Amino acid sequence: MVSAELISTLRELSRADKFYIMQVLISELAQQETDLIKPDQSYPVWSPYDAVEAADTMLKVLQAAKTQDHA
Amino acid sequence: MRNAQRYSFIPIDVALGEASFRPYLPLTLIYQQSSAIASGLLDTGARVNVLPYPVGVELGYVWEQQTTALSLTGNLAQYEARVAVLQAVVGQFEPIQLVFAWTQATNVPLILGQVNFFMEFDVCFYRSHLQFEISPKSVASE
Repeated sequence: MVSAELISTLRELSRADKFYIMQVLISELAQQETDLIKPDQSYPVWSPYDAVEAADTMLKVLQAAKTQDHA
Repeated sequence: MRNAQRYSFIPIDVALGEASFRPYLPLTLIYQQSSAIASGLLDTGARVNVLPYPVGVELGYVWEQQTTALSLTGNLAQYEARVAVLQAVVGQFEPIQLVFAWTQATNVPLILGQVNFFMEFDVCFYRSHLQFEISPKSVASE
């Protein structure tokens, strides 16, 4: 939790120091984002991004189902 | 967007911070007399919708009766998949027909992809606000 005392201290900083603190924090956040991907680990990507034939088959089945519904 | 409904991104793992937020859409899936409440991952890169095996079973699908086989790609290529057509209700919108690749994979998320979820709905992402808006396709785009 961020204490009220810390917030108060930050508010008392000069404009330049506030910018500096902001840059430090943004830099740390960016580093943490990079650290999320660990080496030597696998991360499954389930997205069937290139399933062209499957998409074509599914559209045909869907069209047939709609035709059947309207019959 | 007209008649749009807004949803929030969902954090998957709080330990991962902001990187863990994903656009999951709550929806109700209906097949014959069965229904299931699910949460679908909006995946604009996915060519097709994907239905995890347990959700299909919950809806009453029988694997042997779904005879149209599919070949999926990526991590899903190792699992058999078959076509499943069902009704879906999103928010207050009218029910629509969605076609899914019903995979035998069990640990895959329910994926909403180009065929045919994004053919039926317009979606606008506001990732910096951790929100997205969705509305049925407009008549003009048909």
